[in-house]
Amino acid sequence: MPIQARTIRARAGRAFVIAALAALIFQVARGQSNYSKTNATAKTTTGGPADNPTKSNPSEVAKTLQVAAEAVGLARWSGVGGQRLPEVDVINTMEIWASGTTYGSGSPNKSSESGSAFKTEYHASLGYNPPAMRVEMTRTSSGGSGSPAPLHTIEVVREKYAWDESEIGAGLIPGKGVATPAMASANSRILELWTLPYGVIKAAVAAGDKVTMSTENGARVLTFPLSGQLAGVVVKATLDAQDEIAKVETRTDNPALTGMATETEYSEYADHGEIATDVKSPGHIVRKQAGHPVLDLHVKMLDANNPYLVFPVPENVKKAAAQ
Amino acid sequence: MNPHIRLGRGIVVAALLCLIPAAVFAQANGGPRMDHENTLPPTPTGPTPMAPDGHPDLTGLWNGLADNLLGVPNQMHNVGIEVGTDTTRDIHSGVQIATWPLQNRKRQNNEQNERAATLLRRMGSNRPIYKPEYWQRVKDFDANSNEEDPSNNCMPAGVPRMGVPSYIAQTPAYLVFIYPGQGGLIATATSYRMIPTDGRKHTNLEELDGTWNGESIGHWEGDTMVVDSIGFNSTSWFDQLGGYFHSENMHVTERLHRDGNTLTWTATIEDPDVLLEPWTTTPRVALLNPDPKAILPESLPCSERDFAHVVTKEHH
Repeated sequence: MPIQARTIRARAGRAFVIAALAALIFQVARGQSNYSKTNATAKTTTGGPADNPTKSNPSEVAKTLQVAAEAVGLARWSGVGGQRLPEVDVINTMEIWASGTTYGSGSPNKSSESGSAFKTEYHASLGYNPPAMRVEMTRTSSGGSGSPAPLHTIEVVREKYAWDESEIGAGLIPGKGVATPAMASANSRILELWTLPYGVIKAAVAAGDKVTMSTENGARVLTFPLSGQLAGVVVKATLDAQDEIAKVETRTDNPALTGMATETEYSEYADHGEIATDVKSPGHIVRKQAGHPVLDLHVKMLDANNPYLVFPVPENVKKAAAQ
Repeated sequence: MNPHIRLGRGIVVAALLCLIPAAVFAQANGGPRMDHENTLPPTPTGPTPMAPDGHPDLTGLWNGLADNLLGVPNQMHNVGIEVGTDTTRDIHSGVQIATWPLQNRKRQNNEQNERAATLLRRMGSNRPIYKPEYWQRVKDFDANSNEEDPSNNCMPAGVPRMGVPSYIAQTPAYLVFIYPGQGGLIATATSYRMIPTDGRKHTNLEELDGTWNGESIGHWEGDTMVVDSIGFNSTSWFDQLGGYFHSENMHVTERLHRDGNTLTWTATIEDPDVLLEPWTTTPRVALLNPDPKAILPESLPCSERDFAHVVTKEHH
């Protein structure tokens, strides 16, 4: 932030200033020209309704993914320092604060049974490299004065490891909290990460030529399989007119992958950050699992500035996974 | 003068001033221009000169474009993101990162440009693992770095934040490292280090006054110079970004390896007071200035003048 005194040299000469401004104008004009060409191409290939093709043109899929990535601020570049790098996916870690209602047991892993509604304060910390998510919820029964005390849970997943924490970072230092292995929940927890709008775009890009594009009721739909520990799960993502991910459905024919039939609707996209990032996130999230409501949340704030979030796996969780 | 006109001129001048250091730096290097299209480190060329004692001679002006703080490309590489022609990967995790062609970049204004740069600089997976009780503090320091970053008040960067030395002089008994004042991402005053390589041991930590650079001693491990440092204050941060604070018990091990006209530098930070485990920076590869007449330019005083005008938490 401090201005180095050597920059005072910049005051030398009106001619230099004029030359610099001319160079800037030329660069901006060239950028506008490039953008106009790209944007026009994207609209041509993605804007109109198709006849529900079963085989997609790879370039159409790629362009659709690019406009979807740009719509939420995932595909970005920067010219700081005079560099000319391509657009890359800039989203790794983020934090989401939300409030609303969760249903059933309150646990996304046990909520296939439709049940009570809980007023919920929700805080998710997540990262895509490595894939990990920590969801902290405080659920309060709406049953009145005789209701039990609020239930506070911290559920964590990192790739194949899943555990519950008695406090943030429990189990990493002896005597500081308890980390309880929850391996059976690993797949359903990591699925939440990959069904967020950013996860859908990342996973679709990773799926490569396995992505197909169609239209349903005039909306573009991308369908593709997940891989790794979620192999066997198919994602169907619907884009809205603003190129944002509006609905994500997952299904599987593998009976071993229980709890994988989900449906999540995203709406009210905006930059919800205290520090502006130009990353847009949904302001309203509604999720169902096996046809039953799981959560209905309104986002209060989202920090997309790749904040410091880490997910080290406690030793006892590693041991439990190895057994 | 109409105050609006004056303000407008001020903005234009400020914008131009921000652009000047890159040009000045490039000219001073006598090296390639800064319009990178990738973040790949330079490929070594030429022989590695040897000192009379049989070890590589590290002497030289290592201010090639591989490790300056001005441009996003090297800052991205410094956090482990390697952008090639059409692929991007995190060199620590091996994760492939979605990339779209250069010619398809979306147009954006300066504000969007800066916000994107802030994200780009933080997208790597190579992060130190602090003890859980410090996770929130690191986040807060980074989010409030306009106020909290010691470099924003012209304080020294310190070891190891200052990175690769811009000049090294190697004698049989000492190494001398020089770090000119830096603008751009962080702004610091000129700093130097005199590092004995005569086999002496560290002073007892209890007898050292904590300083920005600590007490450093060097030794050779094969062809790699290892600089071991203790005796720090707890004021500096140990990486360019991220709010990575440390305690007075920090122990830093730098490794410098010359291969032809390149110098690869890493630093390993051990601080059992705040870190769960040692952490090693992404290797940075500096390029030898090929101009035998090249000298380091004078670094003028660092002067903080911006902070009073900051109205948001947006930061580098």
